[in-house]
Amino acid sequence: MINYRLKKKVSLSLVHLILIIECLIVILPILWIFRTSLVHRVLAYRIPPKWIFIPTLENYSVIFKEEPFKLFFANSIIVAVSSTLICLAVGAPAAFSYSRFKTGGNALVIGILSTQMLPPITLVIPFFLVYKTIGLYNTRIGLIITYITFNIPFIIWILIGFFQGVPKELEESAMVDGCNRFTAFIRIILPISLPGILSAGVFSFVLSWNEFLFALILTGKKSKTLPVAVSGLITQQGTQIGAVCAAVILIILPMVILYFGLRTFLIKGLVAGAVKE
Amino acid sequence: MRNKTVLQRVFQFKYTMIYPTIFILLLVIVAPLVYSFYISLHKYILQFGIGKWVYLKNYLNAFQDREFLISMKNTFILTFSVVTLEFLIALGTALLLNRDDLKGKTFYTIILMIPVMMPPIAVGLIWRLLLQPDLGIVNYVLGLFGAKSYGWYGDPKLAMLTVISVDVWHETSLILIIILAGLTSLDKTPYEAARVDGASGFQTFFYITLPMLAPVLMVAILIRMIAAIKTYDLIYILTRGGPGFRTETMSFFVYKKAFRELSMGDASSQSFILLIIILIFSIVLLKVMNRQET
Repeated sequence: MINYRLKKKVSLSLVHLILIIECLIVILPILWIFRTSLVHRVLAYRIPPKWIFIPTLENYSVIFKEEPFKLFFANSIIVAVSSTLICLAVGAPAAFSYSRFKTGGNALVIGILSTQMLPPITLVIPFFLVYKTIGLYNTRIGLIITYITFNIPFIIWILIGFFQGVPKELEESAMVDGCNRFTAFIRIILPISLPGILSAGVFSFVLSWNEFLFALILTGKKSKTLPVAVSGLITQQGTQIGAVCAAVILIILPMVILYFGLRTFLIKGLVAGAVKE
Repeated sequence: MRNKTVLQRVFQFKYTMIYPTIFILLLVIVAPLVYSFYISLHKYILQFGIGKWVYLKNYLNAFQDREFLISMKNTFILTFSVVTLEFLIALGTALLLNRDDLKGKTFYTIILMIPVMMPPIAVGLIWRLLLQPDLGIVNYVLGLFGAKSYGWYGDPKLAMLTVISVDVWHETSLILIIILAGLTSLDKTPYEAARVDGASGFQTFFYITLPMLAPVLMVAILIRMIAAIKTYDLIYILTRGGPGFRTETMSFFVYKKAFRELSMGDASSQSFILLIIILIFSIVLLKVMNRQET
């Protein structure tokens, strides 16, 4: 019995050890970049590193004052929020219709979902050529349109699962009380599925925020989003390690805040599509 | 009810709800694809405008382009390696986290899932800075243990390995989330039966957990595989396909073809080859999945 308990203790400590190592591998790189973003530019690339230093926000002021990161940040927000709202408005009714009536059957929903397989590089070539002729090149609107291509299918994928969990009786009783199908959807179904809609919205925002290829090719100086702007800093990387680190922190900060603020909620949303309970 | 006009039938609730989606997806996905396919059948260098109809010549040319074939091979190596590694690490970690007597499970899970929402561009930059040959912290720390200085993304022997490792650092979290959710949703009764019958840990895993978890695992693999074949961002920020063509993926190759060589006809046809490869892989995986479920 003692032997058994000892064995269990040893194996448990081993498990802790492995998990701690994994956690360190995940967290240390991010912390190091954060540290470098707060270091004076002279110290930023000193090897061996200086461990004790006075933190400074100088690197952040470099990217905001010497580089137009305020504009790029605004671009990122505007593009991500608008395409998310458009895709929710369009995708939520479609997801509801499918989860209630199997509208269009399997063929339609597989058709919509399979668009997630499309490599962005296949779509960006025709978009580039068309935008050049109709003047949408280097505009935020142009970029928002391209983000619809991956956001609508993704939102529908997440929301179908959520709507299936909403009992039919709810809208039926609403219709008895004088709603028609549309008003029942808007007044009863939407409010009750708010958590699902919110998490679909957050994911769509994250996808848009992180998107790189469309933005790289279809935007220019004034419509650039953060990933493109940050990747542009790398050419001067030798001289500006601190600024690059500050920019990296700037781009991951909203994601980290969202992650810690809405963690359980988001995970539920993400797995709703993948794991059917 | 029975005497609905055609108009009423076409515009009944369930269809009206789905029309906007269909209309918009036709406009922003189907139309561009058709246009791109049209281009792929033509000679088209951007400066000279669209040229003459060349049938499938662009497609055939692709398979004679050595660099394209290399990028194809790289894509397969990268996809296979990252999906396998990420899957094994995530599964192992999920099983460790799933132990009943483990304290601090939530804490570990929170930390391990942090990378999931980070942009690939940021991840690539982080590691580019850390792995810098002279100024990076990784070589410095390794140096403390007497190791020599490695050129992580510049050394032809190491570059692909570096890309794979960075991708594993980033994307394992996604598979981990899905597997953990799958594990928690499993029916607990078979486990009690197994315990009564005196099954060992390994037996329980291979005869109960794995079969019950199989559908979830396949979804996780499918999602990751489709994304990995398309890898572009990480290559752009870490290596730009170099050194030589060592880390050039198909997406990156097509990007170069289209936006550096401005050879739109070739690029379109090659992007369709990539699309077809993804399609084939997905169909095969889905078939396997369905067979296991029945």
